[in-house]
Amino acid sequence: MVTVAIDVEPSHAHRWIDAAHPTHPSLIDTRHVTDELFGFVNIPMAVWIDERGILVRPAEAASIERSPLRGRPIPEGLPDRIERALREVQKMPDVSDEYRAAITDWARRGSQSPYSLSPDEVVARSLPRDTDSARAAACFELGEHLRRTVGDDAAVRWWREAHRLQPNNWTYKRQAWTLVTTPPGAAENDLMQGPNDVYEGNWLDDVIASGGGEAYTIVPQL
Amino acid sequence: MILTPVAPVSAERFAEATGWHIRPEGACRGEICVLAPGSLHDDGTVDVSILAERLGMPIVTDAQHGVSAIGPSTLSGRALPTAVAADPELIDRDGQPFRLSSLRGRKVLLVAWSSY
Repeated sequence: MVTVAIDVEPSHAHRWIDAAHPTHPSLIDTRHVTDELFGFVNIPMAVWIDERGILVRPAEAASIERSPLRGRPIPEGLPDRIERALREVQKMPDVSDEYRAAITDWARRGSQSPYSLSPDEVVARSLPRDTDSARAAACFELGEHLRRTVGDDAAVRWWREAHRLQPNNWTYKRQAWTLVTTPPGAAENDLMQGPNDVYEGNWLDDVIASGGGEAYTIVPQL
Repeated sequence: MILTPVAPVSAERFAEATGWHIRPEGACRGEICVLAPGSLHDDGTVDVSILAERLGMPIVTDAQHGVSAIGPSTLSGRALPTAVAADPELIDRDGQPFRLSSLRGRKVLLVAWSSY
């Protein structure tokens, strides 16, 4: 296994990597090049690559265990937006057991595994890339470059455009939102990513607008 | 890939950023090659405008800061034009460069995550 943190800064990923004490390569991608080259649009997602360097499954949701948030009753009295966010989380399709079993089968049987796809199937099952989504990638990268070289404000125009052009790319949105909703000096990035004065969208309202938790992930077709 | 007016783009840098290798016969990624006459210069740099047109790559420009970015190819209409895995240089926990190709001969489950 190889992990890649599609993150704001390497330092944001370090504490999580260190806590996991990984024995596998733990990589960091602050430019979202893996979005562009492998088709990631959210996290966690994964691709499978065989011994020859050929993809045998395209980018798809990669949960391998059921989130405890999904099966637990939502406590009463939570703030409205937190309660609604948890309701959307509980709607997200869960094929974690099946996906974990598929990985194990592929690890054992390789190309004989029914979950190992042909090159044509991999390409066909990868997400659509039209001019708008390709343009969104360019806008995101331009914004990220300007954020680093000019300042946060210089990125905003381009990240807004990336969000408009490819609304289902959650890594573009979540990175932008967390930068404006995380309080200065906070130890962790803000996961709620609520309404803010910089970007039109926010996590909860965008999830609902795009079809709810049911449509939030790229469900593996096993 | 970020583009500036003053920095010519080498074929190596173009390949690193986009996965497309520019050869005399054209632009190739995996088993796919696209004719792109005039795109490769004798000094090893490339004509990005020709490649962008041939590969269906949009270019966006921030005129105020004089910088542009080129997006991925739309040729196949899919995120993956080929099943041959791209091999970008990423960094590991300690900032050291790492390529997935260093793991050839082993299966790789590449899992994306983030702290947000």
